Amino acid sequence: MTKTIDVSGLSKSYAGNKIIDRLSLTVASGEIYGLLGANGAGKSTTIECLLGTKQADAGTIRILGLDPYKDRQQLFEQVGVQFQEAHYPQQIKVKELCEETACLYQDAANYQTLLRQFALIEKANALVSDLSGGQRQKLFILLALLAKPKVLFLDELTTGLDPKARRDIWQSIQELKRHGLTIFLSSHFMDEVETLCDRISILKNGRLSFTGTIPEAIAQSPYDNFEESYLWFIGEEIR
Amino acid sequence: MNRFFTLLKIEGKLSLRGMDMIIFALCLPVVVVVILGFIYSDAPVFLAQSFGAISTIAICAGGIMGLPLVIADYRQKKILKRYKVTPTKPILLLAVQLTIYALYALLSLFLIFIVAFLFFDMSLTGSWSLFLITYLLVMCSLFSIGIMVGGIAPNSKIASIIASILYFPMLLFSGATIPYEIMPTNLQKIAHILPLTHGIKLLKAVSLNQPIETTGIIIMIICLIICSGIALKFFRWE
Repeated sequence: MTKTIDVSGLSKSYAGNKIIDRLSLTVASGEIYGLLGANGAGKSTTIECLLGTKQADAGTIRILGLDPYKDRQQLFEQVGVQFQEAHYPQQIKVKELCEETACLYQDAANYQTLLRQFALIEKANALVSDLSGGQRQKLFILLALLAKPKVLFLDELTTGLDPKARRDIWQSIQELKRHGLTIFLSSHFMDEVETLCDRISILKNGRLSFTGTIPEAIAQSPYDNFEESYLWFIGEEIR
Repeated sequence: MNRFFTLLKIEGKLSLRGMDMIIFALCLPVVVVVILGFIYSDAPVFLAQSFGAISTIAICAGGIMGLPLVIADYRQKKILKRYKVTPTKPILLLAVQLTIYALYALLSLFLIFIVAFLFFDMSLTGSWSLFLITYLLVMCSLFSIGIMVGGIAPNSKIASIIASILYFPMLLFSGATIPYEIMPTNLQKIAHILPLTHGIKLLKAVSLNQPIETTGIIIMIICLIICSGIALKFFRWE
């Protein structure tokens, strides 16, 4: 198994509070890996450390064998990132945002082709702010793909979307997996995680309370469905 | 370099779409030239005296208003942060914005010169190249104020308040719109604190081929050093 993402002993504190405590995880090449946990469990901080936008206090992080803090320029030619909230200038059009993002990479994908693939081609001249929530989310996944990435980070993939839009996005993600992409995602929706993820980790108070496949998670808990098992692992089971 | 020009093209389009700079940096100075041109139609020399001052309206609009707002906005929207997970750095976007506002200022200078020269018979006795160098110095100095404000303001709202507090007094009291000479002495004293007042005095002296005050140059350079120093040290990318 090739380790595409390899994290060991990652720790991060803010003002004396340990947010992440000696966290280790590995993601194999071609895998969809889900990071779960309640709000405040340290998901965002973990992702930020993985991406090098925050510097870890301790531990090593390797993505495709590169250090995201020191080798960022080389690494981000091959890594696509979609942040939790969409960030774009006011009054920018879809194709302008695509062009602006594409020009940042030495070898970018053709955005016209991607717009067609994601059924957004008729929206090329629309303002990004005029898109529906689902279309905008698709656009931001598309932008993350402009790097022709080997690894994709998706933070809170479908938060705030309607059921149809979520299913659309799941399909796109599964399609990407078929092309061999390694995907690291965070999510609050158990149905989404069950549909997409090969393996998951559950964060509780900055440490992993579970790592493995979904059937393993259910088997290790006293419950027989994943949502209840998840709540059991984060210590919030319904009494 | 290709990166830079693609971003310049798109960010430039976005800026034009916003209209603010077209109004405040390109139209407003021309309107002022036209009004003064008619007022002084018998004596174009008076228009020449105001030319240096009018030329700074666009610098002010871009440096004191435009720059801090766009920097604070892009930080608040986490656009600068998004650039951190690409092969480039957020400073590229900053360089693009600086270039856009510099282009507005130069274009404005060109427009007001053409209007004053063609329609109101204005002629400047000073050296053009010296004027341009002084203009760039004043521009750098005022842009550094804008980068500092945008870089350290905690959010767009506060950036916009600080920018307004700096912009309107500078525009009104440093001689950019109302001639410094006709102000009451007390107001002149207040105006003397504003860096733009010294910038305008310099430009005026250069354009009319009068002796330059070294203090003016020193104030411009000190302002540039202090503001860029603060910006470098305390700039917040997110």
